[in-house]
Amino acid sequence: MPSMQELERIHQEAVAAIEAARTVNDLDEVKRRYLGRKGILAQLFTELPTLSADQRKRVGERLNALQGELTENHGQKEAALRQQLQAVRTQAEVLDVTLPGRRIRLGRRHVLTRTLEEMERIFFGMGFEVVEGTEVESDEFNFERLNMGRDHPARDAQDSFYLSDDLLLRTHTTVVDARVMVGRKPPMRILNSGRCYRRDAPDATHMPVFHQVDGFMVGERITFADLRGVLASFVRQMFGPQAAYRFVPSYFPFTEPSAELLVWFGNRWLELAGSGMFHPRVLEMAGIDPTRYTAFAFGLGVDRPAMVRYGIPDIRLFWENDLRLLEQF
Amino acid sequence: MKEYVDIPQTVDELAERLPTLGLGTERVEPHESDAVFDLELPANRGDLMCHVGVARELAAANRSAIRLPATAPRRDRSERADAVHVDVREPQLCPRFTAVLIADVRVGPSPRWLARRLDACGVRSINNVVDVTNYVMLELGQPMHAFDYDLLQGGRLTVRFAVPGERLTTLDGVTRVLDARTLVVADATRVVSIGGIIGGTETEITASTRRVLLEAAIWDPSMIRRTAMRVGVRTESSARFERGVDIGGADTASARAQQLLIEVAGGRIASDMLDRYPSPQPPRQLAVHWPRVGRLLGIEVAQAQGEVMLRSLGFGVTKQGDKLTVTVPSFRRDVERAEDLIEEVARHHGYDRIPEAMPVEATAQATRAPILDAQHAVRDVLIRTGLTEVLTVPLTTPAVLDGLRLPSDHPWRAMVPLRNPLIEDHTHLRTTLLAGLLQVARGNIHRRVMDVLIFEVGRTFHPSGAAVLERRGVAVLMTGRLLRGAWNTPEQVSTATFFHLKGVVESLVSELRIGRTLFAPATVPWLHPGRAAQVSMTGQPLGTLGELHPDVAAAAELPPGVYVAELDLDEVLRHAVFQPQFTPLPKYPSVRRDLAVVVPDGVSAAEVERVIEEAGGDLLEAAELFDVYSGPPVPPGHRNLAYALSLRSSDRTLSASDVAAAVGRITGALQTKLRATIRE
Repeated sequence: MPSMQELERIHQEAVAAIEAARTVNDLDEVKRRYLGRKGILAQLFTELPTLSADQRKRVGERLNALQGELTENHGQKEAALRQQLQAVRTQAEVLDVTLPGRRIRLGRRHVLTRTLEEMERIFFGMGFEVVEGTEVESDEFNFERLNMGRDHPARDAQDSFYLSDDLLLRTHTTVVDARVMVGRKPPMRILNSGRCYRRDAPDATHMPVFHQVDGFMVGERITFADLRGVLASFVRQMFGPQAAYRFVPSYFPFTEPSAELLVWFGNRWLELAGSGMFHPRVLEMAGIDPTRYTAFAFGLGVDRPAMVRYGIPDIRLFWENDLRLLEQF
Repeated sequence: MKEYVDIPQTVDELAERLPTLGLGTERVEPHESDAVFDLELPANRGDLMCHVGVARELAAANRSAIRLPATAPRRDRSERADAVHVDVREPQLCPRFTAVLIADVRVGPSPRWLARRLDACGVRSINNVVDVTNYVMLELGQPMHAFDYDLLQGGRLTVRFAVPGERLTTLDGVTRVLDARTLVVADATRVVSIGGIIGGTETEITASTRRVLLEAAIWDPSMIRRTAMRVGVRTESSARFERGVDIGGADTASARAQQLLIEVAGGRIASDMLDRYPSPQPPRQLAVHWPRVGRLLGIEVAQAQGEVMLRSLGFGVTKQGDKLTVTVPSFRRDVERAEDLIEEVARHHGYDRIPEAMPVEATAQATRAPILDAQHAVRDVLIRTGLTEVLTVPLTTPAVLDGLRLPSDHPWRAMVPLRNPLIEDHTHLRTTLLAGLLQVARGNIHRRVMDVLIFEVGRTFHPSGAAVLERRGVAVLMTGRLLRGAWNTPEQVSTATFFHLKGVVESLVSELRIGRTLFAPATVPWLHPGRAAQVSMTGQPLGTLGELHPDVAAAAELPPGVYVAELDLDEVLRHAVFQPQFTPLPKYPSVRRDLAVVVPDGVSAAEVERVIEEAGGDLLEAAELFDVYSGPPVPPGHRNLAYALSLRSSDRTLSASDVAAAVGRITGALQTKLRATIRE
């Protein structure tokens, strides 16, 4: 059994060896040598019983302290070496973080579809039932049921593409109103949207195909003031709570009184919708008693308001599908 | 305008006020010391197409009255009363015809005030006589025609249909051959004007005209509209007759013109005014129950106020309590029902005073047609796969199908033609979305936008007997890079391939929870013969997908490597499930086993997978292909398909022998059914 002096020497050697270790492997070797199951300290512990009771106590205490100290030293050194090692490794893994990221292309809706869905959502929120119609329609529903007989001058403004004597491409989504009213019992609160066609040559503000959103409401107490309220609510939801709008007299064969809705946007009055109280003849033709029920109806433009809203200068750009434009929205 | 009505407003105030009355003010332009208002008028208000008509609106708006212009005394008899003969053979279409003879006219330039006012209204000054007729048209809305009386054969006019083949050289210098549907004014031997539309050169006013026969007549609006369209000429006159001219005012307008001819052309009234007006209509009377005004408008308007408004617009009003009887003046042809009067009240009360109410009517809950939700879902899935939505014009031409290698009897060739196309690129309705997407791709690639990943959801149109069938379709086109920042990435990963397109279609059918779809090689005219597939569901084709055929790509001026799919959306949605049901999550672990299957090249992956699935039974959760290899040591003409099998039981943890038995069944089936070799 070594003397206390020797113990101190072992202590110093061990501390120096831990300190000198350069790698985790070196350190493990040191640990095995001093602190391992068959290491120097373990050997010394086995020799303790050979000592006198008095010495045993002193040396035992010292050995215990030594073991604690070396374990602690070893732990600190190990953490330091591991940290060093990780630093070397991560240094080797350095990236040029300024290289471009891998971007999966994100798809998006066409800006007109977005606008259309936005409008639909607003009216859905006001309790409208959203329906759909066909794009090929009959002259009867597209015009006559909306109080535009064969020679009505208002047909001039809605020059149509005919497919046969009776079939045409619908010129407005109001035709869907005329369709769905038939056979239903009031009250009704219905909205539809989609493509319409007019015989216009394409230019900066005209396309032969365009979109509309059309809604109507039939009931026993529906008034012109309700129409104004619904449209005003729409304007505020679409263009913001401060939006200024105008509700001025207009003429449509299928409404009486009729009104046009204009919104102040982009420093000008933008024509947003035609509207009014359904003409009693229109209700009669749909089998609804105009002495009992009243109805309002409105038809909103989509394409031109979208142009103004997004600052798109030419309506043809919507249909050109230049991805550099579509990806801006 | 100030001649007819007092206007307290400034020009700017007026420009603000007119639109609130429904007179859209397009432009206000200075003209000398005046301001010229360019108004957009409602299509039903023919009565506003003149200065007095607009003055009447202003008078009502300002609660004042109008001053009508001076008219000539009814007659100044100095020649024979029968100097003018008029025979109207079609009184239905020409319900009123007035004519008067003015003698001793000196034709010359108009006085400055007259020429200036015409110019302000965009009418060219011609001579004092013609200018007077134009001026009265602008002032009172009654179009007129002046004939040189001495050039009229037989001194008489007949209103009749043209004899087919009759000719007339009209004032615009065009010689027109007339048909039997054209209503004309003729003298004893020939046609002298197309009634209500345009006069002829042979009887026009010239410098040597001494005697003028002045016509102020009323023509049927529908007849004028049809004739003007057929003959192909629209004039200030026809535009007014189409919208309806005041039948009660023709005589007044004539008297006004007579007065002006005396003033500016030194004329003398030389005959009675002949007035062929066989069946004057009594003025229309409408009953208005005043409470209905409030019921329709949602705002109370005092009855007394309403009466004042209606009177200042020229309506006659008598009342019995809250029941009004309103007499409609002849110039208000548009007012046919009580609702029309309610609009008058609303207009002059002010639309800006209508409150913003909210309907209180009971209705059902807001709903959306299921098809709209379905289309929305389809768009969403495709957008999530990275595609951008495009919209293309459904009007097209058969020529867009030319490059697609379609057989002559292909259903896409059965297109619905437009009866009256406007431009040569828009003569038919599309039968496919594919052609539109190819055009979009070409346009973008021409602009050097090389990565085109797009789709369209839209309708196609197909003849079906006398009807037109609308079908919904969805089409996808992919070319170029899918990944930005794809440096150091293999091209088959970063750039669109057949399998990227197939992945999009798979995502769509899987997100729509369409059961088992089958992809099979197919021959599709516009697709690469070795890279085309048909996707079907229980034997029903849903659509096709593949690489564009090299010839089609070349014809469409597209580079190689364009992938397209087109699906019948109606059919797809028929199988779609939008209400998913929860599937319990697995309680027991799964076991993975890799399986390398060597099969001859002719055996498709689908066949291998079908055998694996059949043999795997309930325990086989998934078989995912993770490698395809050919080359040594795989024998020539063969390939190695490597699958990761995932085995799981829903009621226990699988034992090693369970797994071995299942894998054994699978390998056994592959060996016997496909003569496959299993590599360990």
